[in-house]
Amino acid sequence: MKRVRRAAARAIGVDTGGTFTDFVAVAGGRLVVLKVPSTPRAPERAVLEGLARLGAGRGTRVRHGSTVATNALLERAGARVALVTTAGFEDLLEIGRQDRPDLYALAPRRVEPLVPAARRLGVRERMGPAGAALVPLTAAAARRAAAAVGRSRAEAVAVGLLHSYANPAHERRLARALARLGVPVTLSATLCPEVREYERFATAVTNAYLTPRVSTYLDGLSCGTPARLEIVLSHGGTAPPALAVREPVRQLLSGPAAGLAAAFQVARACGFERALTLDVGGTSTDCAYVAGGLPRRRAREVAGFPVLLPVLDVHTVGAGGGSIARVDQGGLLHVGPGSAGADPGPACYGRGGPATVTDALVVLGRIPGEALAGGALALDRAAATRVLGPVARRLGYRVPAAAAEGILAIADARMEAALRKVSVEQAHDPRGAALVAFGGAGGLHACALAGALGCDAVLFPLHAGVLSALGALAGGSRREKSRSVLLDARETAALERAWRALEHAVRAEFAPGERRGLGVERWAEVRYRGQSHEIAMPGGRDLEGRFHAEHERRYGYAERARGVEVVTIEVRAGTPPGWDRLDLAPPRAARGVRPARQRVRHEGRWLAAAVWPRPAVPRARPLRGPAIVTDQGATLWIAPGWSARVHPTGTLVLGRTP
Amino acid sequence: MSARTRSGSFDGVALALYDGLFAAAAEEMGVALMRTAHSPNIKERLDHSCAVFDARGRLVAQAAHIPVHLGSLPRAVEAALALGPFRPGDAVVLNDPYAGGTHLPDITLVTPVFLGRGRPDFFVASRAHHADVGGAAPGSMPLAREIHEEGLRIPPVFLQRAGRTQDDVLRLVLANVRTPDERRADLAAQLGAQATGTRRLAEYAKRRGRAELIRAAHALMDYSGRQVRAGLAKLPWGRWRFADALDDDGLGRGPVRIAVTLTLGRGRVRVDFTGSSAQVPGPVNAVEAVTRAACAYVLRCVLGGSFPVNDGAFRALQVIAPAGTVVAARPPAAVAAGNVETSQRIVDAVLGAFARALPGRIPAASCGTMNNVLIGGADPRGGGPFAYYETLGGGHGAGPGWHGASALQAHMTNTRNTPIEALEHAYPLRVVATRIRRGSGGRGRFRGGDGIVRALELLVPARVTVISERRARGPYGLAGGEPGRPGENRVQGYSISRTGERLPGKFQMDLPRGAVLTVASPGGGGFGRARRRR
Repeated sequence: MKRVRRAAARAIGVDTGGTFTDFVAVAGGRLVVLKVPSTPRAPERAVLEGLARLGAGRGTRVRHGSTVATNALLERAGARVALVTTAGFEDLLEIGRQDRPDLYALAPRRVEPLVPAARRLGVRERMGPAGAALVPLTAAAARRAAAAVGRSRAEAVAVGLLHSYANPAHERRLARALARLGVPVTLSATLCPEVREYERFATAVTNAYLTPRVSTYLDGLSCGTPARLEIVLSHGGTAPPALAVREPVRQLLSGPAAGLAAAFQVARACGFERALTLDVGGTSTDCAYVAGGLPRRRAREVAGFPVLLPVLDVHTVGAGGGSIARVDQGGLLHVGPGSAGADPGPACYGRGGPATVTDALVVLGRIPGEALAGGALALDRAAATRVLGPVARRLGYRVPAAAAEGILAIADARMEAALRKVSVEQAHDPRGAALVAFGGAGGLHACALAGALGCDAVLFPLHAGVLSALGALAGGSRREKSRSVLLDARETAALERAWRALEHAVRAEFAPGERRGLGVERWAEVRYRGQSHEIAMPGGRDLEGRFHAEHERRYGYAERARGVEVVTIEVRAGTPPGWDRLDLAPPRAARGVRPARQRVRHEGRWLAAAVWPRPAVPRARPLRGPAIVTDQGATLWIAPGWSARVHPTGTLVLGRTP
Repeated sequence: MSARTRSGSFDGVALALYDGLFAAAAEEMGVALMRTAHSPNIKERLDHSCAVFDARGRLVAQAAHIPVHLGSLPRAVEAALALGPFRPGDAVVLNDPYAGGTHLPDITLVTPVFLGRGRPDFFVASRAHHADVGGAAPGSMPLAREIHEEGLRIPPVFLQRAGRTQDDVLRLVLANVRTPDERRADLAAQLGAQATGTRRLAEYAKRRGRAELIRAAHALMDYSGRQVRAGLAKLPWGRWRFADALDDDGLGRGPVRIAVTLTLGRGRVRVDFTGSSAQVPGPVNAVEAVTRAACAYVLRCVLGGSFPVNDGAFRALQVIAPAGTVVAARPPAAVAAGNVETSQRIVDAVLGAFARALPGRIPAASCGTMNNVLIGGADPRGGGPFAYYETLGGGHGAGPGWHGASALQAHMTNTRNTPIEALEHAYPLRVVATRIRRGSGGRGRFRGGDGIVRALELLVPARVTVISERRARGPYGLAGGEPGRPGENRVQGYSISRTGERLPGKFQMDLPRGAVLTVASPGGGGFGRARRRR
């Protein structure tokens, strides 16, 4: 195994992808990038190989964006779980919200619950909405439940009781009874004490389902390297393995969150407070909108299962480089959601793959050179042209290049729709914002999308191909907790007590050394009593008054006579991210390099474009499109009408050519 | 191949692009409505739909929401068109089933979209189920004898003129409903959704040109029309009959027959309801728009595929619903349940006819009822009135090769349930149990899906309305499969009976505090003869 550098890395960010595992290391005062082919069967092998090659030692801090939890859920390869729940409600997990995913299917299918009926065990108890025990849980009932779980041979247990967010006493009593079984126990009231039983129970079940698998993975990693490990969670910050193992459901969006956090920093460093982010990978594209802070949402679905935990608001659409193009019998062109994956991959990988977006980009000349992913994959141009032939014929075109333009247009349209979902659909105006393009192919779609959305600038960050690993490296340590309280906004003393208790719990999860210098924020979900819709408000003085004002601003009226209810409170705390401590100065400029030439098709015409390796991009004057910039594992297409200049931080900033 | 691909000046790429654009506009309207509405029925249960229409009121695109809304919306736009000429910033409101609506709780807004000078180029419409619009019982679905008891009837009128809300109209509406604050907020949310759709179409026109956008809408309709004709060409020619029935009309008369004669051939589908029951005194009458919506839904399901759902898709569909029958009611018939119950039975009858035309492709009947529960009264905690509305899913019919899904909304609805914890916070009610009704699916080689059992305790005296179906006869099985078990309604704690008194499928009663209402939804029908157990 060859080592990349002599100097041992001080800190390393790792991001596991479908095709490659990316590493960014700080070593010898500079950033080092490394790509290792992923090992999907045993992802720790690729991670450990990379860490070894980078010389990770006892003093190295490794921050890891992991897909183990996500893949275990997608492949349904988790643990045998038992659910203990309020008697009479054992089937809630299966009934869900009773809506069917496909409106017009004659044979509607639902996602099978992670726990079958036989292991959903009812226990006699009942809490009321105010937290009063309407039916107390007896010690005997708790014992019987534990015995039933034991008989079910479950490898992990989830406990979800009605109204446990209001009073967790019964769930805790069950946890004590279950402790002697020696299997991991997830309490819904500890994990996400919020109103909405189905989503809360399902989140607890998913957590239990993932615990053994993630535990094995992280144990394997810890044993394989002496480095200090931290795991990136769905909020973009990190937590130590002990915490990550207890609540693996918090890392389902680990990779996208790290990338978004990095993109946000890039935009800010270039002077943009508002930005759209575009991370185009092999099978999917992740989008988000940032304005002064990282965007958040209260809950989301992963693989058809609800996760009732705050996550960064990243929208994912199944359109990426590997998305398959096909023409239906009526002649309509479809791109995705099917993907060629890593194997066989797009046709241009030369392994007999189908026609994909990447093949279209190759045929259009947008991907120059003989190799992909920084030289790790040979590029078979002839194969790409060959597979586009039938697509062109079915569309009634004479040349494959015309079909390629069509495929690109549809892929762009799907990405545009995704960007609109996170911006326009949430009343954020994309005009005047920057578009941060990263991932292997983000830079190839950026100019078209910025044009369609009215963005002023495109930002192409340094290390765009491994930005998620960079985000993992730079992210701070972070914990967040929320809890439904359903208090009147005027009960300030009770609110203060609840907030303090939550803050205390959050602080306790940090290592003693991290507690000083923590940034702590209080948030609240507030609504008019009797309504079912909340507005997120920062905590602090006069919550009631600020809520009326905000309601008036958003909906045009306020009902000042009506009671205001605080549904959920939240505390978010973190150590500052480590961007300032990273050496993000651009690599030394390569002088005297002459660009290569490449024929590129754009809007139906063939143009001659200059191809610049990133370090050689001239700094003295803007680089005018049409041009292509190649980076390690990422490509940027500068369309005609756009020009790029090098920002002092190394980011390429594209604007419209005056 | 290329001749088929092109539609006017639009090729397969341009059509796919515009299909996405129009659909996105409708979907974005739905998201805006869901985000800003206040009632749980819209916010939590997503009981609303949005769509885009061309200048002549023909459906261009819709967001996949509630089938019974979508198929009937064109009638609302047609009714609104009569109010023209329009100015930018106008919005028409209506709920009158006899003038573009379906049943009174569904309030529809229609907004003209001006992309140039002169006349509107498009219309956008949104329909939402409002939890109360007045009438004899909270929830506005009483067991009425005529529409005037069912609630406030709004013919097409302007709710907004040139951007200004018509306060007199709004005041009139709010004075006639039980929960005016919530209605005002939900109507404001609907107006917001309309503005969202309008804005989006204007943006498209600016980028791609008004004329191009209009041409694209027509090209998409042509495309869907061709796709449907191609699909129909694969079906056999002939005539098939099927009949199903509602248990009763809610006032003791029944069964209420729905008869279908399906004719396939020459690229057309004709669904003739001649022979169906005359309209009845109870509220199960459907207006013609609902019947048409049910037929359009079935056609879409049977043809499968992924053609855009627009006016062109249904040009080949002819619906014959004789006026004055239960499938094309005339005023002043009560219609509250026509939308929620009769629509389901129409689907069962039309699918049944298709099952005869295409043996081995169509599944057995699904639960065939929305199991509507409406509870209202005075909330002692706030003193104000409350109106709670919920529907329950049931078992799906089994098909050739698959077991029916359990505990899921079927056919003409797809609303979610209200979370129990949210429900218990918002209303003086307690859920005693919610379970899958095991064993309720019809037996067969493939089993029908199971229904749901839900028991609710009243914490205050309240007026309870239940409108449910398939209580007398279960959903039919096919190819030797047995029918699903019929649903059941019971009330405990108001009579001396300990197990609870069994109640009819449709009833309305004032129940005391402590009464427990149990609603069990039907299982789906089985498919194929069950193998005998040894």
